[in-house]
Amino acid sequence: MLSFLIRRLNLLVITAFILTILAFAIDRTILIHHQTKAPIAQDYILQYFAYLWDLLSANIGHSALNHQPLLQRGLTFFASTLELCFVALLFSSIIAIPLGLLAGLFRNTKLDYAIMTIAIIGLALPVFWVGVMAGLLPSVWGDILPVDGNMSLVYDVPVVTGFLLIDTLFVTPQYGLFAFFDRVAHLILPAAVLSFFLIAEIVRLTRHSMTMVMRSNYIQTAYAKGFSRTKIVFVHALNNALPPIIPQLRLQLSTILSFAMTIEIVFNLNGIGTWLYNSLKSGDYHALPAGMLIITGFILIFSIAIEIMMVIISPIRRGSLYAN
Amino acid sequence: MRLICLLSLIATLSGCYQNKTLTQNTLIYCTDSQPTSFNPQISDDIASLDATTHQLFSRLVKIDPNTNEFIPDLATSWQQSEDKLRYRFTLRENVSFHQTDYFTPSRYFNADDVLFSFNRMFDHQHPYHIINNKTVNYFYNHPFTELLSSINKIDDHTVEFVLSKPDVTLLANLAAHYAVIHSAEYAEQLMTQGQPEQIDFKPIGTGPFSFKSYDSNGTIRYQKNQQYWHSLGNIDDLIFFTNPSATKRYAKLLSGECDAISYPAASQLETISQNKNISLNSKSTANISLLAFNTKAEKVAAPQIRRALAKAIDTETILQAVYFQSATQTDTLLSKQSWALKPRFNETLFNPEQAKKELITAQYDFSQTLQIVLPDGANVFNPNFHKTAELIQANLLAIGVQSKIVSVNDNGLQEHLNRGDYDMYLTGINVHIKDPDSIFRPLLSCHSTPETGNTSYWCDAKTQALLDKSLTESNFAQRIRNYYQIQDQIQEQRPYLPIAHVLRLDAIAKTILNVEVNPLTGINFQNAIKQDLN
Repeated sequence: MLSFLIRRLNLLVITAFILTILAFAIDRTILIHHQTKAPIAQDYILQYFAYLWDLLSANIGHSALNHQPLLQRGLTFFASTLELCFVALLFSSIIAIPLGLLAGLFRNTKLDYAIMTIAIIGLALPVFWVGVMAGLLPSVWGDILPVDGNMSLVYDVPVVTGFLLIDTLFVTPQYGLFAFFDRVAHLILPAAVLSFFLIAEIVRLTRHSMTMVMRSNYIQTAYAKGFSRTKIVFVHALNNALPPIIPQLRLQLSTILSFAMTIEIVFNLNGIGTWLYNSLKSGDYHALPAGMLIITGFILIFSIAIEIMMVIISPIRRGSLYAN
Repeated sequence: MRLICLLSLIATLSGCYQNKTLTQNTLIYCTDSQPTSFNPQISDDIASLDATTHQLFSRLVKIDPNTNEFIPDLATSWQQSEDKLRYRFTLRENVSFHQTDYFTPSRYFNADDVLFSFNRMFDHQHPYHIINNKTVNYFYNHPFTELLSSINKIDDHTVEFVLSKPDVTLLANLAAHYAVIHSAEYAEQLMTQGQPEQIDFKPIGTGPFSFKSYDSNGTIRYQKNQQYWHSLGNIDDLIFFTNPSATKRYAKLLSGECDAISYPAASQLETISQNKNISLNSKSTANISLLAFNTKAEKVAAPQIRRALAKAIDTETILQAVYFQSATQTDTLLSKQSWALKPRFNETLFNPEQAKKELITAQYDFSQTLQIVLPDGANVFNPNFHKTAELIQANLLAIGVQSKIVSVNDNGLQEHLNRGDYDMYLTGINVHIKDPDSIFRPLLSCHSTPETGNTSYWCDAKTQALLDKSLTESNFAQRIRNYYQIQDQIQEQRPYLPIAHVLRLDAIAKTILNVEVNPLTGINFQNAIKQDLN
């Protein structure tokens, strides 16, 4: 167990090392570009270690525009992006997993074709275009959904966790649950658009996994034993069809995040995408390495967490625990 | 089935996410750009004025919007001395400064605050004079250096302004946006805390709203000043929100997420004016959109070439295609209302054939390519810089002049201008007081840089002498004659081609009443009332 953890963490450390070198390189390029005088020749290795020390003490510099600490601001914005991704993931899982299972069960039937056609259309549509189109929807329905911003400006919600769905619950004495509902209403459209892509992906993965399971010998055995189809599906197939989807989804994480960042710009949400976009537009280039470190750091930690979780929940992978 | 569930969920949510009692006393104004500071003494861009002058501060006197007379604000009355050199102001008593989480006033407003506010601009030795005053800001101390010799405190509620020479513009200057009153006590507190620069970013004033917070996404929150000495509307929370996209602002106005928006898209004005729930407020200003010829650039250095090029450009088409109804056509830098406007130059400007002939006589090299530089995107001077540039390019091509459009984004623009690497530049200028000097000096003075407005790099001894002479000229008729001469010179030398005088436009929901818009000092929400939505 211990050696497994060390091996995983080792990988994390090496990747993080490469990332910090990259961030350091970007940071220096910006500095040199902005220096009016000729740069003083200095030892880059010493500078790098100073930079690393700053990173470890959670200091990645301040915004050139408003002198706020970049890490804190970046994380606040990133929390908002994660919230969007999480809501979209939840939303698409609820829709896509049953659809995928159905398609897998009734493989090569009309139902399967219908579901897969919809999924592939979802995969093919460019996400920013869907965003713009979805932004038009409320005006067709008569303005019942907000299309712009994180939440209504009426509510002054102080940042506690950065996750607005949680933060709005802290202000219930002042606004009741209205702030929370307002946030939910603002999330519906962007989350639905992000789900478009996710649904397609999850349907495809679930269908494949379900097909594989239904073809396997133990299911055949179960049929031979004379179990009903319902029992086979719910007792034997589902348990084994769902876990393989999780590591597959992990690979999609960076795609989901970059789609979320695009959608933020379309819907004017205050996430890390808009933050980076605006910072670059106004010449605050130091946000770039900060944003890169936050996003890549998250993906790194998250993938390793998933891997550890997989080992815990999936018997097949547990073998790697004992490998030397 | 799922779709039905989803739709019914959305319907339920949308029913309860808008809380009427909360929105009732909140007014949201969606603007196109963020303020550069919260002190109109040092910032004179429209966004800063809108966010500060009338909301946070009071002045000694103000101008009645209906009668155009000077009426008391923080001064209750004033007398002029016999020799017309001294103005004595009696100050209002029991006026409290804002109480916020960063400052609690211990005393009422008095003469010390007046002295502090004006000495900061006027007195170069004042400890606050250099704070946040990075460049030699022309607007910062110009109005009062020429005008005043000293300001004296007579007693706690009487101050005396001593003029250097008789001048009637004192009251007009005191009613301008830069004559706001700050708290001297707050300034002292900041000085002891060692962060005097905060005075311009965490403001304390005596205005109808107090500053609550500003986040860099562009949301400014104000709270009603409960101690305000004058009557107030029913707005408790005032929120400014910045969104550079005019279409998004309009969408938010329609959905009720904004109560008023600044500068709706020029192309949407007709649709907006037909909407029964929205009133469109337009005010003529002296703000002007113009094309600067870089007089230091070799290709357009000769005045006859600049004159000819100006004749080739059809400003009327630009107006129709780009500005729609958001601007009025002009061929002069001064607005039609200005007293210094020279009645008329008789020649019509647009004349491509003549332009071509003149270029040939001036031996213009038709094989070279002119560079037209413009900011990317849009601002209050121009709804669409690129389209304007394309029209100019087409006009120039019609007489055989090649040109290239270079659009530069905000952070590269200043550098580009300072390099002087352009032949023509599309820009505009804000005008803050009704004095011709306030438009001619930034555009034409040798001391003015491209940053402060002189994008044509114009520097001419004669113009400079006229400018300086007119400022101190006591004979009004002579002053007018000087300005006529300057206008003749512009016509002759053509450093600038005026395109349009832009209108100040705001679209306001019909539920909001009593919003006053002053084209010089900004928008005023003091008396704003939000009517019942039902």
